[in-house]
Amino acid sequence: MQKLLLTVDKFSTLVGQAFAWLIVTLTLLISWEVFSRYVISRPHAWAFDVMIMMYGTLFMMAGAYTLSKNGHVRGDVLYGFFPPRLQAALDLILYIAFFVPGVVALVWAGYVYAGESWVINEHSNITADGPPIYPFKTVIPIAGAVLLLQGIVEIIRCVLCLREGEWPSREEDVEEVDVDKLKQMVHVKDEDIEKLDALVIRQEAGKSS
Amino acid sequence: MRKEVWFGLSIMAAVVIGVFWLLPPAAQITNGHLGLLMLALIVIAIMLGFPTAFTLMGMGVIFAWLAYRSQNPQIAVQQTLDLMVQRAYSVMSNDVLISIPLFVFMGYLVERSNLIEKLFRSLHLALARVPGSLAVATLVTCAVFATATGIVGAVVTLMGLLALPAMLRAGYNIKVSAGVITAGGCLGILIPPSVMLIVYGATAGVSVVKLYAGAFFPGIMLALLYVVYVIVLAKLKPSLMPPLAESERKVAMPAFVKDIAATASNKVLPALIVALKGRRNADVPTSRIVRELMVTLLPAIVFVVLMGLIWHALTKPNIVTDTSNLQLTMEAPVEQASTSGLQEPPSAGTGLSEPPSETPAEPKAPEATTPAPATKAAPATAAPAVAAPVEWERIPAPTTFWIIFGTGLAALAIFYAIFTFTRLEIFKMLLASFFPLAVLILAVLGTIVFGLATPTEAAAVGSLGGFVLAAVYTLYALPSAQRARLLKIWIPLWILIAISIVWFLLLQFEVLESGPPMWIGWVTIVAAAIWCVLATFQLRLTGIVKESVFLTAKTSAMVCWLFVGSSIFSAAFALLGGQGVVERWVLSLDMTPVQFMILAQVIIFLLGWPLEWTEIIVIFMPIFIPLLPHFNIDPLFFGLLVALNLQTAFLSPPVAMAAFYLKGVSPPHVTLNQIFAGMMPFMGIQVIALALLYIWPAIGLWLPSILYK
Repeated sequence: MQKLLLTVDKFSTLVGQAFAWLIVTLTLLISWEVFSRYVISRPHAWAFDVMIMMYGTLFMMAGAYTLSKNGHVRGDVLYGFFPPRLQAALDLILYIAFFVPGVVALVWAGYVYAGESWVINEHSNITADGPPIYPFKTVIPIAGAVLLLQGIVEIIRCVLCLREGEWPSREEDVEEVDVDKLKQMVHVKDEDIEKLDALVIRQEAGKSS
Repeated sequence: MRKEVWFGLSIMAAVVIGVFWLLPPAAQITNGHLGLLMLALIVIAIMLGFPTAFTLMGMGVIFAWLAYRSQNPQIAVQQTLDLMVQRAYSVMSNDVLISIPLFVFMGYLVERSNLIEKLFRSLHLALARVPGSLAVATLVTCAVFATATGIVGAVVTLMGLLALPAMLRAGYNIKVSAGVITAGGCLGILIPPSVMLIVYGATAGVSVVKLYAGAFFPGIMLALLYVVYVIVLAKLKPSLMPPLAESERKVAMPAFVKDIAATASNKVLPALIVALKGRRNADVPTSRIVRELMVTLLPAIVFVVLMGLIWHALTKPNIVTDTSNLQLTMEAPVEQASTSGLQEPPSAGTGLSEPPSETPAEPKAPEATTPAPATKAAPATAAPAVAAPVEWERIPAPTTFWIIFGTGLAALAIFYAIFTFTRLEIFKMLLASFFPLAVLILAVLGTIVFGLATPTEAAAVGSLGGFVLAAVYTLYALPSAQRARLLKIWIPLWILIAISIVWFLLLQFEVLESGPPMWIGWVTIVAAAIWCVLATFQLRLTGIVKESVFLTAKTSAMVCWLFVGSSIFSAAFALLGGQGVVERWVLSLDMTPVQFMILAQVIIFLLGWPLEWTEIIVIFMPIFIPLLPHFNIDPLFFGLLVALNLQTAFLSPPVAMAAFYLKGVSPPHVTLNQIFAGMMPFMGIQVIALALLYIWPAIGLWLPSILYK
């Protein structure tokens, strides 16, 4: 079971990371457009549409990836204090009550929405003769489907946790605050912090005396 | 289970019971009541710890369906689906939110460019004489670094690793040290360019540009208040922050300096010139002296070039300002309109009003004799006709310019009078750490605020700048032989890139008449592309870039999915008429604007305790914003207050994120309580700052009001 869960995790991660690279193309595209608009006075009408599409695709497709790494913001005040079983029970209920209806509705509605766009061969109307927009709208159902798949995995995780009493493990990923890496970056070793502790104790002692 | 859990659960139960007690019997329940129920439920659901984006989305769908069903059950499902997908799509194609991933990307790149250590060391030495110098250096480092990255956790952790040991070793009080780091680390979410203001702008429909201009001074004010507090505290109670030991203040000097200083003087400028003239009894190579001299003269060179360019742009002759031609033709006003965009309007105005006798004779510089062609923007047909009889003479520059010029000159003179070799070393260190980052921030912010580029464009170029910083700092971490080899390839590429940029800048200052030709532009683009690829592979930056890319994707997905959820949620809330109920209720309280403002800020302050700022802005701002017109409150001003207020959310125990990040890297005997106690004074300062901003709104609104009339 765990193997299957991790496989789906890997799939979501792969999809999310693949689309994450859009940020590099987005940066380069906008920088290039800035240069050609301001410096050599040759703006491109299609650039705005393409920027928006890159941004929209980027974050939509990264939704499942973020979910698989437990990266969506959650109210941590009480949740962190709960024992795993209670966490899992609450999550399970809320996944079924909120996540499933919401995301299923999104996939279905997105499917219809994109389908209509394909049928009329829709083009962007921000500029005259804009680029086609139907591929961009297709992102909604696809991103929703991947997210739904990841959500089902999370539901199974909740059930497993309810049975075992502890959360099944996840794959490691880059962290925003990776303490070990930051320590390495500024050349601070654990011993240094240990040594510092003596100073703290001395200061405390000096205060109480 | 722990006590806190029972406490939290009982609060939730109380909310549920209260809501049901308040609700009228089932038969009389209207949609408005459902809206309120929805609001109560969302608070509970968020407290339960389920990912907020999906809570909002699911609840929004369910309640939207309920709302539609009460109108027309047959098409309710269809309407709900339409609403949902349209809301999702509007977030996907939102031209404000697009800058979020770009700014986040820039932040991660700068964070990983490994300059914080240098930054802190150089500021520490530069500020060594200030009371509480290490604490002030920490605050300044935090302010600059946090502004560029906007990542609270990383800044607090890094400063906890760098500044906390330094402060403790210097005998600083633990509480003060902890407070300075946590408070400083949070500045990045207020001082623009910050993601929080983008999120607020997108939610409240306020221009991000105005928010940036507005938040600039309040952010600086808050940072200054922190610094003033620390300095005053250090003066009053030196035992908390003892002055630095001599060894901590010592600046390592290169050997040749001693020789020069011994023979000539300790002042850099005369000493180097004397040394260059041949009285060098030491074996200092001339090239080395020239290089030091260049660094020494850098401020003067920058000043002269900048003032020269401004002077050129100001005094450039054009038809409009020549009084003899003013009443000539109909074209005059047209040209005024076309040329005024190119130069600063206020200064041109003052230039006209000055009597010529008052202006010094200096403007008749040699350049004045060279005939300058007609202003570029003037229509080709009109320019020669009107301009022909006029001898090209420079317009006298406005007095303001000469005042600024004189002040600058005096400042430079003082600077060189006290510029010793110790200061030169510190200056060089700052040049390598503080100035690049400051220039990056100011360039990004300046282009946005002065309307030269949109936030999106500035953020993208800023990300590229972050990459360049990462590359250059990695380069300077390499052994010098390898560095020289790389620079041999890089410098030609940089020169190619610089051609267009310099050309463009000269065009902006009206030195040149037309932009660079197409082929030079392409040369620059190709050179830039080659450099990016080369730098990535030669310095093995792929790791840094890859991590930043993945983190950017996760953070943007987190924020933007929250937006998808909340826009569906707030649509459902509006459909149910919840907004109307809230509005009627607030208006029935019959509050004055001041009371309402204070109430709103208190509510946001309290919400900051259990919730994160993203959730507060995205969920609760749509409820507050429609109330503002009733009280004649400017949403821009409200946004600034909210941004300042949410700073406290990071510092208010027991869930202050900053404290936990610091605890994670501090010595084991530093307790959470000590950190919390250290944060308290800074929370107090935040409240004072909030009050100051409220009493004098001009602190925030002055800049936007003069920039965007």
